[in-house]
Amino acid sequence: MSDTAVASSRSQKVFLTPRRKRQITSIILAGICAVWVYPLIWMIAASFKPNSELFSNQSMIPIDPTLENYIRAWTEANLQRYFFNTLFVTVGSVVITTLAAALAGYVLGRRAFPGKWVLMGLMVFTLFIPQGYTIIPIFQLLTNLGIGQSLWGLMLATCGHNIVIFMLLFAGYFTQIPKELEEASRMDGVGPVKTFWYVMLPLAKPIVVTVVVMQALMAWNDFLLPLVITLANPAMRTLSVGIYSFKGEHFVDWGGMTASSTIAIVPIVLLFLFLQRYFIDGLAGAVKG
Amino acid sequence: MSGVTLRNVKKNFGSVEVIRDVDITIEEGEFCVFVGPSGCGKSTLLRMIAGLEETTSGTIEIGGRIVNDLNPSQRGTAMVFQTYALYPHMTVERNMGFGLLMNGVSKSLVKEKVAKAARILQIEKLLDRKPKQLSGGQRQRVAIGRAIVRDPEVFLFDEPLSNLDAELRVATRLEIAKLHSQLRGATMVYVTHDQVEAMTLADKIVVLRDGRVEQVGAPMDLYNNPANVFVAGFIGSPKMNFVDVNHGQLPDGRVLRLDGPNAASVATIGFRSDSLKPADQGNGMISAKVSVVERLGDAEYVHFQTPWEQELVARFPPEAEVGLDATFEFELSGKIHFFDANGRALANVMLASGAVAKPV
Ligand SMILES: Nc1ncnc2c1ncn2[C@@H]1O[C@H](COP(=O)(O)OP(=O)(O)OP(=O)(O)O)[C@@H](O)[C@H]1O
Ligand SMILES: [Mg+2]
Repeated sequence: MSDTAVASSRSQKVFLTPRRKRQITSIILAGICAVWVYPLIWMIAASFKPNSELFSNQSMIPIDPTLENYIRAWTEANLQRYFFNTLFVTVGSVVITTLAAALAGYVLGRRAFPGKWVLMGLMVFTLFIPQGYTIIPIFQLLTNLGIGQSLWGLMLATCGHNIVIFMLLFAGYFTQIPKELEEASRMDGVGPVKTFWYVMLPLAKPIVVTVVVMQALMAWNDFLLPLVITLANPAMRTLSVGIYSFKGEHFVDWGGMTASSTIAIVPIVLLFLFLQRYFIDGLAGAVKG
Repeated sequence: MSGVTLRNVKKNFGSVEVIRDVDITIEEGEFCVFVGPSGCGKSTLLRMIAGLEETTSGTIEIGGRIVNDLNPSQRGTAMVFQTYALYPHMTVERNMGFGLLMNGVSKSLVKEKVAKAARILQIEKLLDRKPKQLSGGQRQRVAIGRAIVRDPEVFLFDEPLSNLDAELRVATRLEIAKLHSQLRGATMVYVTHDQVEAMTLADKIVVLRDGRVEQVGAPMDLYNNPANVFVAGFIGSPKMNFVDVNHGQLPDGRVLRLDGPNAASVATIGFRSDSLKPADQGNGMISAKVSVVERLGDAEYVHFQTPWEQELVARFPPEAEVGLDATFEFELSGKIHFFDANGRALANVMLASGAVAKPV
């Protein structure tokens, strides 16, 4: 009792008690957050307004809510098609990138072989080349392979964006795993492929999740590469490129654009919410290691 | 079940010779312990038997088959690692059955084998746990269980107790001894740097130093008849006392009279703490000033300084109340070991009667 009495008498004198400090911090942070999400909320709100109301109605809440924008975007503007294109490119590139980066990272992290450091050096070097410079050669390469005009080509090219970083993440993680685990499975007569699949990869779960989330985000939102590759082939467009087409030469369909943007961001937000915990673990783990 | 034979086995890491020309025969069903100081190549030798390290030259035979070119899993061995090496993301049950499952053994048979091993090790209640939820001793049992499940001809242990606390180490040591008699016929090769573990567990001890075999023998053999100074000093606790003999003289210049054909070659004499007996004033061989007394309950180890300032240790009965700085005279009774200038044990030497003049 007397303790609280002392504490409260002190808090009357000192304006900035720890508790009040925390409250002030929270208010400031909440303010910043609000600024951050305002455009997003505005966009989602606007997507339910008819075009006529879009700029006249200053309030966030639609007077006459409608799904019209969504219907127009999904069917007329071919968003349905773009959505599944993007889904294909994203899922495909996530699967391939994760597997390839994990396998390569496993070998780089745990095996010694001649030329390893030269190889690592070359790969790290590619990190310094801006994406813009490689788009034309990549397009050329895909064309020569005969997949320049297919979603497969786009998907494979999308795999390349961050794979070096992912590989290094995996390599760093696998390096820390004690070699006795692999030796134990060797003694057990488990081959290298099964050891990778059943022992090493499950242990690298935090990195797997990190790579899945980052690659999915990147592939889903990628703009420049799909823009270049689908220039001659509108049916192959992804969402990010497709949305851009709402901006005609003389007229911008803001309603359609907000609706399709909302469609575009929902899956990625859901994925993030679903994997959030592991994702943060993975990043923390990667920094630690 | 079968024995293990190493012939002229060598191992180089790059240009460094780690194992130099080792010959060892381990009989079927034997409990063989490799012991030696850190870095002497014990683990390397064990890993060569397991097939985890390649053999540079020489042959390794298990159960009559030369296994040099066989994969670890084909050698009929199972290994228990010092760090346990349990798969962290698998339950105890899956840890133990993993190897069999991956090799196409039916689920029901694996379950049966795991249950049997768990019963032997009394870890039936832990089968659903992950390694993180186990104590060090329990993890150790699971690691042993994983080896048992494979039904190996030869068990390989690499310092399996070194991560346990002292009490648990003693308990687990007993369990491993029990296990050996329970798994009748299983050959076990066990690596440790702890000579007490070696003495208590082994049928046969192999003392290694610098990649070479110093001596092979039954524990009491090594204790009673060490082949050289190194083995004499390594086996037995407390360490054997050594006193230099220079041209028949003790370090203080007194003459030590020895009998026997090899008496002239003696460069060192060795005696264990229980070979020192207090003597009457004026009749002893070594006079001593007590520096440290260790009371172990069943004995007292009295460390003392000789007039030539060497620390030696004598064993006293527990009730002996020896004070610090007390002075004694000791005589030598019981087994004395003699070594030549190269440290090799010499036979056919004994102390002559009245070997030394009274102490200085
Ligand atoms: N992979 C390796 N490459 C190079 N040298 C090695 C390698 N493994 C072991 N050595 C060397 O071989 C020698 C024997 O090592 P080993 O691990 O067999 O010793 P040990 O007797 O088991 O020692 P400890 O009691 O410390 O475990 C050491 O000098 C060590 O430095
Ligand atoms: Mg070792």
